[in-house]
Amino acid sequence: MLHVKPEQTPLCEATLIERVQSGDQVAYATLYELHIKRVYGLCLRLLADQAHAEDAAQEVFVQIWHKIAQFDGRSQFSTWLYSVASNVAINYLRKQKNWLQKVVNIEHSGMDEQSANDCDGLNGLDKLIVRLPERARMVFVLFAIEGYRHEEIAEQLGMAVGSSKSQYHRARQLLQEWYENE
Amino acid sequence: MSKPNFDDYLNESLNTLNKEIPPKKGLWTGVERAITNNKPASKNAVIWPKLTAIAACTVAGLIAINTFVITPEPQPAVAISDYFSAKKNILLVEYKNEEALTTNWQMQLQELEEAEQAIKQVLENEPQNQALLTMLAQIYQQQLDLINKVHAPRWQHI
Repeated sequence: MLHVKPEQTPLCEATLIERVQSGDQVAYATLYELHIKRVYGLCLRLLADQAHAEDAAQEVFVQIWHKIAQFDGRSQFSTWLYSVASNVAINYLRKQKNWLQKVVNIEHSGMDEQSANDCDGLNGLDKLIVRLPERARMVFVLFAIEGYRHEEIAEQLGMAVGSSKSQYHRARQLLQEWYENE
Repeated sequence: MSKPNFDDYLNESLNTLNKEIPPKKGLWTGVERAITNNKPASKNAVIWPKLTAIAACTVAGLIAINTFVITPEPQPAVAISDYFSAKKNILLVEYKNEEALTTNWQMQLQELEEAEQAIKQVLENEPQNQALLTMLAQIYQQQLDLINKVHAPRWQHI
């Protein structure tokens, strides 16, 4: 049984990262504790599925462990971490699709209203966001919540910039419709 | 009290949105299991996977060129056709001895098959056209739905 516990005394993030880069799992457990809620929140909003979000969040921290040597400290660690997280979540969704869904580019629908209401940790706007269809949801989360530009989103999601804008518009329309009918 | 308008609601919600959501279960154990005995790559070591990847890609590229010249990649339309044709044949065999609900279903099926042929013809010139591939899959799905509907109707409860 593995029992690596996070540090009890607070350390600055740069020190933690240095220690992780030299293979210190205790430091990594602390780094994990600092960021897991934010990473899981991002995965849940992007994937609209609790089990998938848990898998993806774990995958993010496994990948970060292997890639941490590439982090050179020129940007904020959190910015780098969340960009890895969004890429992992997007790729996770791609992997979930069967070959037919890939060929005809069928998108996942979001959670139904009941599941969204029952989902732990979601309230208010989040309950509406997870009901959005896949592309509209991803664009909305990346643009409105994560602050990416449409050009960046288009590149990440493999779509045209115009499509990213129209998916954002579609998301807003659906959110408005649901909000007004609540 | 009346609801705030949507724009106000959205702005307010986005400004106050808590980006952190705690996972329902602990996820660290899974991460720990995956990384134990796997030290992160050192900064100096990072270059080697890249060089290896470049070499591997070059070899793979050469192999791919050779392979695809000899055996071209199957077209998506062919894959869709194979998949749905198999399903359609299974259904037709299954319902062979059952009486259909309507008499003109075979005519409807024929019309759908004509549409299928027309889309396939256009796809020969644009084999990667997503809109056409979607239409082809939808036409096939309509054929399956029709066969099912006329042989095994589901009565609606009032």
